[in-house]
Amino acid sequence: MAIPEMMICSMAREIKDGEMAFHGLASPLVAIAMYLAKNTHAPNMIYSCVAESINPLYDKVTLSTGDPALLRGATAYMTIPQAFDYAQKGKMDVMFFGGAQIDKHGNTNLSVIGDYEKPKVRLPGGAASAFLCMMAGRTVIWTTNHSEKTMVEKVDFITGQGFLDGKVDRRSLGALGLGPSKVITNMGVFDFYEKGMRIESVHPGFTLNDVLDNTGFELIVPEKVEETRKPTEKELEIIERIDPDQIRKVEFE
Amino acid sequence: MKEKLLTLKEAASSIDDHSSVAIGGMSFHRAPMALVREMVKQTRKGLTLIGREEGLSFDLLIGSNCVKKALAAYIGFENLGLAPNFRKKVEKGEIKFEEHACQSIVTGLRASAMGLPFLPTRGFLGSDVMGVHNGRDLRVIDSPFTGEKLVAVRAIEPDVTIIHAQMSDPYGNTRIIGQMFEDDLMVKAAKKVIVTAEEIVDTDDIRKHPEMTAIPHFMVDGVVKAPKGAYPCSCYCYYDADMDHFREYLDLCRKGALDGYIDKYVR
Repeated sequence: MAIPEMMICSMAREIKDGEMAFHGLASPLVAIAMYLAKNTHAPNMIYSCVAESINPLYDKVTLSTGDPALLRGATAYMTIPQAFDYAQKGKMDVMFFGGAQIDKHGNTNLSVIGDYEKPKVRLPGGAASAFLCMMAGRTVIWTTNHSEKTMVEKVDFITGQGFLDGKVDRRSLGALGLGPSKVITNMGVFDFYEKGMRIESVHPGFTLNDVLDNTGFELIVPEKVEETRKPTEKELEIIERIDPDQIRKVEFE
Repeated sequence: MKEKLLTLKEAASSIDDHSSVAIGGMSFHRAPMALVREMVKQTRKGLTLIGREEGLSFDLLIGSNCVKKALAAYIGFENLGLAPNFRKKVEKGEIKFEEHACQSIVTGLRASAMGLPFLPTRGFLGSDVMGVHNGRDLRVIDSPFTGEKLVAVRAIEPDVTIIHAQMSDPYGNTRIIGQMFEDDLMVKAAKKVIVTAEEIVDTDDIRKHPEMTAIPHFMVDGVVKAPKGAYPCSCYCYYDADMDHFREYLDLCRKGALDGYIDKYVR
């Protein structure tokens, strides 16, 4: 089973009808998932994005997810400052964030591997993370590289807030949103249970041991591990229609 | 109204070494690349760069040793890869990077545009981005009305803002078509503003649709006619981003051959 499609369908299922979802830069998988949700179970979903357009009618997904191509057919135009104002009113429902490191409490790191002042690797920076991880109703985190290097006990730098140390009440730090609801990787889907990360389902083609062996902390394993639901023919057809250039594979290269 | 037409060369030389420069556009889109290239050519030194989500404009200036410090929420090339020169210079400790989140760049620029020393925002608490600033530019405050914990963002006032627009008249009445990004805030926040434009149009054309003037002439200090002035970034309604050009840049930089790129495209 093709992993990009598995991840896209898993992401799309996290968007409920009528919700406002937002994607940032470097997010073709999310852009396709949002398009897929809108064209399947969530026709009234509000598609908002870093390209500053609302509900675009684009022909195909672009390599840059901030591309002006996303203005085509949009019903409205909302700048980033306006979108952030709206999020700060508590009205943005779901935001998707990637992480170079993701820890067991759903904190993400897009800043540095190693020390901030003398990093081993300087990553691009967290973009909207430190703000929207607290403002969005919930966040969905993804990585295409499920490994012990990515799925770590503790991130080197908390760029995006998850459940922090697992004990602190996010609301005491001014969070409007609930925090990460799911982590979607190339191997499976994970949620949070009593403040720890739990396996929800494993993608076809991977075993429970693959997941455990490639995770740098102890996952909560439910009694019965489900297999992630495979994409339907219709879902695959929509993905192919919006992404004939296979941009969804870029993040796996 | 006063005519403010400059050449690219004059515009770049009007930016002092060691000044702070906010650069318009976002990622692969509508950055003032022709002016950035001219700044590289003139070997500006010691700049502090300000932006939200940035790509080639920042990486090229950083790689060309024009920069001592950068403030941004993201510097990269989306799914094409990390920003090679930014990465290298920070890892070697050769430049300082003050990581923001998008909202603190927006809020800092808004504060300056409004003539305020700071503005509050929600969010940020619990993120190590707060620690990077160690109370300098982001500080926890209590709302005087509700007692809620908020974050005060110090005003960001660039010495110079440079943006690329679709059109301007010779006086600086500027139209931006499509995405605005923070260009309007950067303009209002800055001490000095330079606009490069695809086309210089008659003021009579501007007067037909004053509601389309994103930036009025009195906020602009210099106007440069720069067709293809955002290239290789996109300029909405004029041209798309040239992804192959960005790939070539990244390939050359990864091989340590930034000079080859500069010889071919900048000098």
